[in-house]
Amino acid sequence: MIRVRDLSKSFDDLKRGRVTALDRVSFDVHPGEIYGLLGPNGAGKTTCLRILSTVLRPTRGVAVVAGYDVETQPAKVRAHIGFMSNNTGIYDRMTAWELVEHFGRLYGMDEDRLRERLEEVFTELQMNEIRDVLGSKMSTGMKQKVSIARTIIHDPPVLIFDEPTSGLDVLVARAVLKAIANLRDQGKCVIFSTHIMREVEKLCDRVAIIHRGRFLAEGTLPELAARYDEPDVEELFFRLINVHETLYAT
Amino acid sequence: MNWRNVRLIFLREVRDQLRDRRTLFMIAVLPLILYPGLGVGMMQMTVLFSEQPRTVVVLGAKELPLPQLLDGDRFVANWFDEPAKAERLRVVTEDALDENDSGSYQELADLLAAAASVREAHREYERLAEEREQAISRGDEREAHRVAAHLEAAGRRRSQLFSSSGIQVLIVVPSGMREKLAEANGLIRERDIAAGEVEIPKPVVLYNVADEKSLVAYTRVRHVLDAWETQLLKDRLRMANLPEALPTQVEPETIDLARAEERSRSLWSKLFPALLIIMTVTGAFYPAVDLAAGEKERGTMETLLICPASRSEIVFGKFLTVMLFSVCTALLNLMSMGFTGKYMASFVLGGAMSKAGSLAPPPLAALAWVVILLVPLAALFSALCLALATFARSSKEGQYYLTPILLVTVGLTVFCLSPAVEITPLYSVLPVLGISLLLKELLAGGGAYMYLVPVLVASFGYAALALWWAVEQFSREDVLFREAERFELKLWLRHLLRDKGQTPSFAEAGFCFVLIMLLQFGAMKVFAEAAAAGPLTDFGGRTLQLLMIQQLVIVATPALLMGVMLTSSIRKTFRLRWPGLRFMAVGAILPLALMPLSVTLAEHLGWFFPPLPDSIQQTLKLMNTDSVPLWLALVAFAVAPAFCEEIAFRGFILSGFLHSRRTWLAIGLSSVAFGVMHMIPQQVFNAALLGLVLGLLAVRSNSLWPGVLFHVLFNGSHVAIGRLAPSVAEDGYSWPLLVVCATVSAALIHWLVVTGRPRPKASSEDAREAVFREEEIPLHVG
Repeated sequence: MIRVRDLSKSFDDLKRGRVTALDRVSFDVHPGEIYGLLGPNGAGKTTCLRILSTVLRPTRGVAVVAGYDVETQPAKVRAHIGFMSNNTGIYDRMTAWELVEHFGRLYGMDEDRLRERLEEVFTELQMNEIRDVLGSKMSTGMKQKVSIARTIIHDPPVLIFDEPTSGLDVLVARAVLKAIANLRDQGKCVIFSTHIMREVEKLCDRVAIIHRGRFLAEGTLPELAARYDEPDVEELFFRLINVHETLYAT
Repeated sequence: MNWRNVRLIFLREVRDQLRDRRTLFMIAVLPLILYPGLGVGMMQMTVLFSEQPRTVVVLGAKELPLPQLLDGDRFVANWFDEPAKAERLRVVTEDALDENDSGSYQELADLLAAAASVREAHREYERLAEEREQAISRGDEREAHRVAAHLEAAGRRRSQLFSSSGIQVLIVVPSGMREKLAEANGLIRERDIAAGEVEIPKPVVLYNVADEKSLVAYTRVRHVLDAWETQLLKDRLRMANLPEALPTQVEPETIDLARAEERSRSLWSKLFPALLIIMTVTGAFYPAVDLAAGEKERGTMETLLICPASRSEIVFGKFLTVMLFSVCTALLNLMSMGFTGKYMASFVLGGAMSKAGSLAPPPLAALAWVVILLVPLAALFSALCLALATFARSSKEGQYYLTPILLVTVGLTVFCLSPAVEITPLYSVLPVLGISLLLKELLAGGGAYMYLVPVLVASFGYAALALWWAVEQFSREDVLFREAERFELKLWLRHLLRDKGQTPSFAEAGFCFVLIMLLQFGAMKVFAEAAAAGPLTDFGGRTLQLLMIQQLVIVATPALLMGVMLTSSIRKTFRLRWPGLRFMAVGAILPLALMPLSVTLAEHLGWFFPPLPDSIQQTLKLMNTDSVPLWLALVAFAVAPAFCEEIAFRGFILSGFLHSRRTWLAIGLSSVAFGVMHMIPQQVFNAALLGLVLGLLAVRSNSLWPGVLFHVLFNGSHVAIGRLAPSVAEDGYSWPLLVVCATVSAALIHWLVVTGRPRPKASSEDAREAVFREEEIPLHVG
């Protein structure tokens, strides 16, 4: 469903000169699987997911999402994914219902199907009481729910979540993670970035540890534990990052 | 483009804007309350406003001859076209002190003392001026120089004294004026021809045109004095038994044929275009900022970018929204202003307007023109504002960009308001100007219909260009994801010098062009002065030498310096590589074929451009007369520009523009820059066309030299034919020759376009294919 080969992204920065935000990264994500990108802030997670959602163009490498090339068929890719990040806010002057409906229409859904799906999604996410609330009047949790509804309204086969729980309280974060787990159970291909180990442990089938644009390790959690002889994910994470930092410094 | 998406985005944006109180207020509420509010304010101002009388001091009033000019502290009311106006000038004479017994004695005394000191300063100035004249006539240059310095100081003192005196106009009546006039009158009565030789001393009127109050008072005093002098003359004629009407025998009767509606139309034709432009741009700006920069600020930009709509669909939807609001704002403003103006004109300005006839509303046809021409105007501004607003990181930053747009627009509006400016073929294809001038013409009742098509086509063309630019902005990652970073000059300079590319960046190329233009502007005065200094006989030669210096210093040097400092490969930047022989052959043949075509085209487009000012025509002629040796003309007109301009425009600038990754865009932009550098409209057009060919040649050959050769031969053959075969230059080229030239040119340009086109590399395509095909490949980890 997602196939990434040698994906790189670099850009000019006033302070640091040419910065490589993503450095020859390759991986696959399959349907019914949650793939976790685990890394500290600035590791390249967002850049990677932005490329997969066609918002950024790769400097080199190829990424195929839901059978479409992100560079040559960006519209097709966008039509087949749901993308949610910290930066995908909702409109202040639209109600929850209007917003999700608007995006459903942009995804080309016909009106009957859209109506059906709206009812379904609003019930599933327990959003019926905020149907007519304007974005500006919503709490963070409500906004996050609306974002998830917008992400899944067109029932896409691939879902991309960029730190979906950041800034949320424990209750809302738990609900979001539950929603994501449900999506996997429905057979969706989910890629998910975070810097919180607990979420990875709870949710991800496979995980990649990313730092300074590079993948340091990749596999299922038991595989990683066995490979590095470190059962604790957190310890494993710090060890890998430290080693890489030392290498980078020299 | 998927129109369903465009419509969805448009409808959403419109609804969003309608729910925004700020936008609604700016667009719908403000115009409705602003103008009536301004009207009420104006009415109150009118009630409160009363004009203060201005002070005129007359020194030596006793010497004034009859008829009586003064009446106490006023001019005699007869001398005004409206007697009530006499109240607006207060006259102070030396007699006032004798008659005055009230508290204003001190004030009058001060005024008179100040007047006396101004008079003294004036006399001193006159004395020095005479001294200087005498010194000059004696040929005593040193003395003249010494006196001139004193004269300057005296003039300054006179002005200072006048400014601080509180007097608006000072009339100094010379002593003996009445007496001498009486003497002359006596001679006239006796029909003695010597009457003409009696020297009557003239009064002096001092005022200051830089002071509004003084200027107004002077204008009134001037009318009074003219009326008074006419009466004086009539009295003298009567005394001499001659008819009073003698000086005004051929006073023609003047009849103003303007009808009331024509007067109003003339007013509308000035008012509407100006207002329309300003309203359209403001109406477009605020929604544009909210729709583009606001989207970034509220964090919804990415939400929008990941929907299936393409960037151009998003921009188009937003553009239509901005345009709708721009049109609505303009119309609402005009309507509100029109109704308020009409309402107020009907009673407040009754006095003044009754003379001009009542203000008739503009005819329906005129309003229809306003609406028709509003659309392309709104389209242009909407696209422009949207592009700029996309560039901004936040609404606040977006607001900053309004100032330059408004300044340029207001500048254009003021230009269009000038009665001397009429629509011409050239103006009709310029942005904003074309629409504004056409509207002015149509509203005034002139039939400028033939300009309608060019104006509309050009305006929609510009709007499309601006829209394309907006889409470009919307597709640029560095614009969409610009983060608020602190700007540090040191960091930026270090970045410029450290992270040099092999060739300059797009922005550096643009800056190089701006620098060349600024230097050219700054050096204009220096070069004009240098050309004017020295004998006229050598003017041509001198100007040519200056032309070469200009090319070297202003065109080539900035590009070369920037190339050395900002790029890591001089060779690539300036294309210093030997081209294939085929390209050199094209560089040698194409200019000779194109030159006659270019000259003929310029001649046939003469009507399109405004005629050159005489001074420039004269200069151009003098630069290429036989007095200038042919070799110098060739070096100055052909060799120097060929090297310098190619280095700048096909070297640095084109290399930078090619970073846009669009070859034709880069060629187009560099040729426009090349054209604009030529300043004179006729040359701008021709040079821009040639710039296209030169740019294509440079890109295809990847070398500077074919362009240099082309440039030398093109300019050189033009100069040489003007010199060696002036008859050809005069009569134009024959049609068969032109046909041959056109065929050869078309064939060579076609070859450049098609054959020289580099083939796309297949390797990236292969890699893509491989990823699609692969079943399972090992992952690169660690």
